[in-house]
Amino acid sequence: MKLILTSLSLMALAAAPAAAWAAAVGQPAPAFSATDTAGRTISLADFKGRHVVLEWVNPGCPYVRKHYESGNLPATQKQATAQGVVWLAVNSTASEHGDYLPPGQLAAWMKARGAVPTATLMDEDGQLGRAYGARTTPHMYVIDPKGVLVYAGAIDSKPTANPADIASATNHVTAALADTLAGRAVATPVTRPYGCAVKYGGAG
Amino acid sequence: MRLPRLLIVAALWVGALDAASAQAPGPVVTTPQVRAELVAHAPEGVGAGKPVALGLLIRHQPHWHTYWKNPGDSGLPTTLEWQLPAGFEAGPIEWPTPSRLPLGPLMNYGYEGTLLLPVALTVPPDFAADTLDLRLRAEWLVCKDVCIPESGEFALQLPARAATAAHAAAFAAARAAVPAPLPQAQGRARVDGTALALRVEGLPAAWQGRELSFFPETPGVIQNAAKPVAQWEGAAWVAQVPLDPQRAESPTQMPAVFTVPGEAAGVQLTLAVKGAWPAVGGSAAPVAAVDAAAAPAAPAAPIGLALALAFAVVGGMLLNLMPCVFPVLSLKVLGFARHAGERRALLAGGLAYTVGVVASFVALAGLLLALRAGGEQLGWGFQLQSPWVVAGLALLFTLIGLNLAGMFEFGSLLPDRVATLQLRHPLLDSLLTGVLAVAVAAPCTAPFMGASLGLAVTLPTVQALAVFAALGFGMALPYLAASAWPAVARALPRPGPWMATFKGLMAFPMFATVVWLVWVLGQQVGIDGAAALLGTLVALAFLVWAIGGAGHSRAVRAALGTLGAVLLAAALVWTAPALRSELAAAPAAADATWQAWSPERVARAQAEGQAVFVDFTAAWCVTCQFNKRTTLASDAVMADFAARRVLLLRADWTRRDAAITAELTRLGRSGVPVYALYAPGAATPRLLGEILSVAEVRGALAALP
Repeated sequence: MKLILTSLSLMALAAAPAAAWAAAVGQPAPAFSATDTAGRTISLADFKGRHVVLEWVNPGCPYVRKHYESGNLPATQKQATAQGVVWLAVNSTASEHGDYLPPGQLAAWMKARGAVPTATLMDEDGQLGRAYGARTTPHMYVIDPKGVLVYAGAIDSKPTANPADIASATNHVTAALADTLAGRAVATPVTRPYGCAVKYGGAG
Repeated sequence: MRLPRLLIVAALWVGALDAASAQAPGPVVTTPQVRAELVAHAPEGVGAGKPVALGLLIRHQPHWHTYWKNPGDSGLPTTLEWQLPAGFEAGPIEWPTPSRLPLGPLMNYGYEGTLLLPVALTVPPDFAADTLDLRLRAEWLVCKDVCIPESGEFALQLPARAATAAHAAAFAAARAAVPAPLPQAQGRARVDGTALALRVEGLPAAWQGRELSFFPETPGVIQNAAKPVAQWEGAAWVAQVPLDPQRAESPTQMPAVFTVPGEAAGVQLTLAVKGAWPAVGGSAAPVAAVDAAAAPAAPAAPIGLALALAFAVVGGMLLNLMPCVFPVLSLKVLGFARHAGERRALLAGGLAYTVGVVASFVALAGLLLALRAGGEQLGWGFQLQSPWVVAGLALLFTLIGLNLAGMFEFGSLLPDRVATLQLRHPLLDSLLTGVLAVAVAAPCTAPFMGASLGLAVTLPTVQALAVFAALGFGMALPYLAASAWPAVARALPRPGPWMATFKGLMAFPMFATVVWLVWVLGQQVGIDGAAALLGTLVALAFLVWAIGGAGHSRAVRAALGTLGAVLLAAALVWTAPALRSELAAAPAAADATWQAWSPERVARAQAEGQAVFVDFTAAWCVTCQFNKRTTLASDAVMADFAARRVLLLRADWTRRDAAITAELTRLGRSGVPVYALYAPGAATPRLLGEILSVAEVRGALAALP
């Protein structure tokens, strides 16, 4: 029986990627609806006509901590939201994973580091993450006011865990926002994300 | 309870860094996840020209892993930063073949257990010291269900005049696990819409038929977690690998590693990438595509099922008049004349023909729908996009032509039993004629079929099959009517000696069809392939003449037949590789006035306020070629295009092209020709008729804003 279950779930995994990685830059961003850490229902459709940033977050990941504890991500969030950009942090860590933080603790962790996202979304079942093909924390996405995905990839150009590298790195999200806010095509629309794997259910 | 665990992980991490930096560096760094050691192998001591290898030996705790040079969906490769005395040089890491490490929907490439990352050391000629001091700073990311970035400072002193070989076995094992190039192995990759089509030849013979692992060294190109759809075609491994929709790289060369289970190392080879990478984001083109997708092209959207069925019947009838059905129509006329005296037989034959046509249409539609369901981006005319099918049809039509020309009779080729079987079953004969008619008609998507087909492929399966059945019924209708009403049949000439003349005459349309097929094949695989096919046709004709020719004695027939069979086999051996090879250069679509089509090109011109005319065409589409040589060659039309500064683009579908297939689908069509005129700034084009008239084009141009 266990063998059957295992092979069934393996088949499900093998079948998943075809449907899972739907989001593509230049295409409409997949619609979603999720609950945030305050219990509100947040939908992408709520922000039609505005620029939206999605940020995959997991406080258990050293690469996420690199960008929070250095103040890099909070500062990027502050700068973006001041320009009217909607910033949605997304936590796709499965609830059975050791890194998982319940909504209250996650919100407190973010707040303690000066984070100012518009909302922090809970995605324990990984649906939102799979729809966007989010693979790492952090993994960043920018959606334009027409609902088109215009950037997907890394937070910056130096894929290390060393906070000292932030100063000399190019912040791809800030650059993409500058382009799209000015109505230009994003100069670097896709980069390779770096960080820890997103802790989807059934992983590890 | 979550936070404390987090703190523990953080503490472990900080602890690991402390351990590495606080003490004076030695050859070993131990963290809770790995034991890493700087090791060396210098069996002849250290000196210029002597083999010296260095390496980082990593022993992972169970279930922890570090990453390959392409880490896959997440992770980072281990990096080595050497501090060596002047003149010494450390080579790049010689990465052993990694394992696939699935993690939920993600796929990583890396190593568990014991790993040695070797590098070669170059010793300068003036090196004369007794010892060599090595220092290394290494960084690695080690993950299980959590990830920990670690680093270490290593130091090691090697004696110059004594052998260092304590880790000889580890280095030997590492060398055996590093993939090596194979001289005869070569591969190429072709960008095929949203997938990469791989073809690798010259892999070890023992691998044939086995499942292969494919590791691209270039990160950020393919969907790592997707299993390639792979098969062996003889000695060649052929696979489709889906591209990452968030692809970060568009390389022209992709080094990759291939291996089979149980093989320590595998084969390293560089794939030359052909074809244009689809644009990734940024440009206005995909946005325009989105707008247009929301409002599909006018003809496809509003048709209901009943109307589609009616269109299908009419379109099917008109198919009989299409140039590529004509040769088969002539076969049918022969059939009528033969049976004109027997009404019942005629009607039965008509019904059998109808059944054959409808069944073939439904079968083709079923295949099309199944392939669509399988994710293949195929259109209606796909049969003739395969050089093999074109060559096969050329052989078939040559045979039919030779038969009609009287070089042989089918009866003399087939055993008597089969021949009489055929005579006793004229119904079967009619059925097969129907099937043949459909096979030839498929690429000629006539004007009225376009919309029906476009709708059909978007319909639920049952309705789609109904549309195709209606199409088949329409095509068979004239034949059926003639067989049912003697008035129609009686209008046909009486059987007589003229039939032999007519039969001979009919050989020429067959040979003309062969000329067309050879030309199509030439477009697909080049002049060598076309010449090879012609050679094969000559060999076939010789064989047929040798066996079937009247007046040959038994011995002559046997000798010539053997020779003919050998010739034909040799010709086929010559032809087969030519058919496999693809034309390197794009077909001569682009000339001074016409440029190659791409969605980006259309979007760019529109953004610049220029009108665009797109000719969706294919070499095997006779209607397309007719339009190209008449209306689109007309001076009046070309002058109008020039006067209105219309950008002329040609989308050549002669060979499979996923981008064009996708665009045709978007326009509600599944075949060519399609003529689309985009007004400046309009997301949706105006589609013109498939039999293009000068007046229609000029009218459409005059209506431009």
